[in-house]
Amino acid sequence: MTASDGDDDTEGDTPAGEAADAHPTTGDARTVGDTYDRIAGHFAKTREYAWPEVESFLEGRRGARALDLGCGNGRHAERLAEHADRVVGLDASRGLLAEARARAAERGFAVDLVHGDAAGLPFADDAFDLAVYVATLHHLAPRERRVASLDELARVLAPEGRAVVSAWSTAHDRFEKNEGFDTSVDWTLPGGETVGRFYHIYDPAEFEADLTASALRVEETFVSSGNCYAVVGGP
Amino acid sequence: MKESLMDIIVCPVDKHDLELAVDEEEADEIVSGTLTCTECGETYPIEDGIPNLLPPDMRDEVEA
Repeated sequence: MTASDGDDDTEGDTPAGEAADAHPTTGDARTVGDTYDRIAGHFAKTREYAWPEVESFLEGRRGARALDLGCGNGRHAERLAEHADRVVGLDASRGLLAEARARAAERGFAVDLVHGDAAGLPFADDAFDLAVYVATLHHLAPRERRVASLDELARVLAPEGRAVVSAWSTAHDRFEKNEGFDTSVDWTLPGGETVGRFYHIYDPAEFEADLTASALRVEETFVSSGNCYAVVGGP
Repeated sequence: MKESLMDIIVCPVDKHDLELAVDEEEADEIVSGTLTCTECGETYPIEDGIPNLLPPDMRDEVEA
């Protein structure tokens, strides 16, 4: 495993069953949270490094307040702390928030943690100058909730604020389809138990279409390490 | 959570301001308490130092 593997920082992931009828969850915050609560400890241990695409986005940027949306174990919140006076991390999984808190304490960075839903953010309009929304959008279903979460990101970004958004893509070589699809990707715990996680795998055109349908202003999109990326601004 | 977080958190449903009631505090951390929406009256618990601001229909119904 390397830091550049994108959302297949593969450890723990088992090959995707691409059957569209294999949904373990409905993709709402409750079930995504429950799923990650079950695997939080092991998952967090395999998510050590910030993604290089996030590092590149942050280079040269600074803000008063930054948001890590779907913060997981806080690996990107840790980076954001070098670029903002205050960092807030939101996740749907209580278990992962506990992991993020432990990481912040161990490594000495400050992050305010909030348990919440990406499609219904509990933050004021224009609250953030910088945001990272990576490897989270693809856990939401249906499409309306994914677009709603992009609208919410637009709402909480300050007028000059910028965010980087990513989702797992059909461009990744583990997927054979060229069009976006719903699937379940198993997480294998050390004891061998598998936990299915809902994913919507985006094709790049569909990713752009969802961004365009939202209130976000798209500055740039690209595919890297099997993920779709966009740099976006507020409305 | 830090009390200063009140500057940016709002009700996830109607985005109105929240009112803070502290039950337990340690140093400058609020360990437990309740956030109440000043508009719709919905309440959100602060548990183990982390505010649970999931929309009400998505959070666990088990009361702390």
